[in-house]
Amino acid sequence: MALNKKERKNNEVKVALAGNPNSGKTTMFNEITGSRQHVGNWPGVTVEKKTGQASYHNYSLEVIDLPGTYSLGAYSEDEVVARDFLTAGDYDVVLNIINSSNLDRNLYFTVQLLEMGVDLIAVLNMADEAEKKGIKIDKNKLGQLLGTPVVETVASRGKGIDNLLEQTVQNRNLAEASLKIDYGSEVEDLISEVVEMLKQYDFSQQINQRWAAVKLIEHDPEAVKLLEREVGASKAKKIKSFIAERELKSEDDFDNIIIDKKYEFINKVIEESVKRPAADEEPENHSDKIDAVVTNKYLGIPIFMAVMWGIFKFTFTVGDPLIGYIETFFEAAGGWIGSLLLGAGVSPLISSFITDGIIGGVGSVLVFIPNIFLLFLAIGVLEDSGYMSRAAYVMDKVMSKLGLHGKSFIPMIVGFGCNVPGVMATRTLDSKRDRIISILINPLMSCSARLPVYVVFAGALFSNHASTVVFSLYALGIVMAVIMAGIFNKILFKGERSHFVMELPPYRFPTLKGVFIHMWEKVGAFLKKAGTIIFSVVVLIWVLANLPLGVEYASAESFIGQFGQLVAPIFAPLGFGSWQAAASLVFGILAKEVVVGTLGVVYAAGEGGLRAALTTNFSPLAAYSFLTMVLIYTPCIATLGAIKSETQSWKWPLITASYLFVLAWIVSFVIYQGGLLLGIGI
Amino acid sequence: MPLAMLRKGETACIKEIVGGRTARGKLNDLGFVNGKTVRIHSSSGGPLIVGLGDNRIAIGRGMAHKVIVDTEGCEN
Repeated sequence: MALNKKERKNNEVKVALAGNPNSGKTTMFNEITGSRQHVGNWPGVTVEKKTGQASYHNYSLEVIDLPGTYSLGAYSEDEVVARDFLTAGDYDVVLNIINSSNLDRNLYFTVQLLEMGVDLIAVLNMADEAEKKGIKIDKNKLGQLLGTPVVETVASRGKGIDNLLEQTVQNRNLAEASLKIDYGSEVEDLISEVVEMLKQYDFSQQINQRWAAVKLIEHDPEAVKLLEREVGASKAKKIKSFIAERELKSEDDFDNIIIDKKYEFINKVIEESVKRPAADEEPENHSDKIDAVVTNKYLGIPIFMAVMWGIFKFTFTVGDPLIGYIETFFEAAGGWIGSLLLGAGVSPLISSFITDGIIGGVGSVLVFIPNIFLLFLAIGVLEDSGYMSRAAYVMDKVMSKLGLHGKSFIPMIVGFGCNVPGVMATRTLDSKRDRIISILINPLMSCSARLPVYVVFAGALFSNHASTVVFSLYALGIVMAVIMAGIFNKILFKGERSHFVMELPPYRFPTLKGVFIHMWEKVGAFLKKAGTIIFSVVVLIWVLANLPLGVEYASAESFIGQFGQLVAPIFAPLGFGSWQAAASLVFGILAKEVVVGTLGVVYAAGEGGLRAALTTNFSPLAAYSFLTMVLIYTPCIATLGAIKSETQSWKWPLITASYLFVLAWIVSFVIYQGGLLLGIGI
Repeated sequence: MPLAMLRKGETACIKEIVGGRTARGKLNDLGFVNGKTVRIHSSSGGPLIVGLGDNRIAIGRGMAHKVIVDTEGCEN
């Protein structure tokens, strides 16, 4: 262990946070490093490792936050990230974050780490919750039994952090841990024989040999791979068949014995170091009472729908007046700056760049800050409360009809915020098939970037039913996702059903800090996007609207006009064959907000506002068809990039991009032509 | 009998986890281990919600068939 230690100076310590999901690793990480990583109350919030810096006295700490994992078994992609990091050993100390009120299961992971020879500090986090439950832990005794330092903390309130850092620095050169569990004579004999063989075959001294032997006896696939790498296939085969022979002679499976003995050891440790109220005396806790209602057979799905409806209602009712103010501000600013520039004798070109380009384009996107802000506030509360896993549980019924299970619903909810983390959240799904299907349908979850497009159109053309129209689009997205999941399930993969087991964490009251961190992060990301990609694209479009030289600004003869006309025929049967609409959709693939930005620039929305321009250029039916297109068509580049990196192949992003475009075209076609036939909204 | 057969409110003792390596490993990780008491909190056609000590775990029917329990309860 402690790889690459020599590369670090004496006062540099590399620390990794590891532990069960939902034990507070990310809260601890934020507390130690002062970062603002997203924390949530559901297993799987962190799916990749994150690095931060901290200093304590004259030490500098490099801190790595790992995804939560229940064991080193690593059944899903996020757990593999943690496992690979921990086994590679490039760190000085592991802070094993333990949920104190849930010792049995958390210690299972601790014991696995100690057996592997990981130098760790056992961090009894959430000490306050344990206390509330009447659990008393003798940490000295626990430390003695485990043979490793033990520290108590309450990360959510910053308690015990100083002591933890002190201990971390003190124990940076911890002697190699060596926890030995007695697996009973039969397994122990085999272990020593396997260790002998490993020594004979020159198996790396870097790796704890007893641990390797135990893992091999458990038939751990990763251990087998490691063995083959180390000693070659033929010698590895000898060891494997040696173990298999023994197992045949034995009455019980060795891996069962090993697991049982581990838990037996943990039970003994707990018996000697923990006092807790007898199980029978424990009253039903409040989480159970809430669960009895929200996971009810009949009420579950309606409650979930109501929660979603509530989120949108909140986003719009509160957001609308705020949007109005900002809109008025940008319009006034546009007019005022325009006349100011004119008065100062600035060339009309520059004046147009500022009023039409920047204010018309970027301004029309920035207007939606209140909505983004409120949407993420609501999602933040949802995530922190613990309801996410319940929603997944409730939706299992629907998902299982599609060959997926409830856990696949969590990435979909995450996708409502943004599809990029939505796609990444599929790492928690353990079957490849579930992952791919969930990735393919994730872009159908209407992300926050599409919200500005809906709101501006809904405000312009459906002012009386704005929130109903927008909600219908979200619902349409879910329905399409469900249908497509069903289709992919039929045509893409067969068999390989995965296992559904998921922890339902206790409900917690969302902390103001947690929710605000989440919200600021998202609003910050939105502002950054507006200042970078949206700004650049809008400038590009403004330039294209002014070229070739001498052309009338944003006319059909400008480059952008000519380009739009080239593409427009594709969209004509859908009710929006104008070059402006076509151009906005094409550039919208760069980032969906750009659809609004482009329309803002090409309709020169400086005066009268974009809404007025839309009212004259779109019928309500055409507008709804256009919104359907925006909802479903090709996802933005960032999402396609995420799909590429998560699937490690170009095949899936290409499939996603093309199937969604075709699907969008068909659905918009049906809506527009159907509407025409029935005479609705023309 | 398999855990999946129990009704709401019943408690039982886990006797054995059957099934493939992955399924067994995942169940063990979440605390389904021989000798532990489990309690059914919800059973309504879909996945079960079971209590293992203070933990609440949603478990699909298929997985719940791999957990063999004894309704007599655990010895202690």
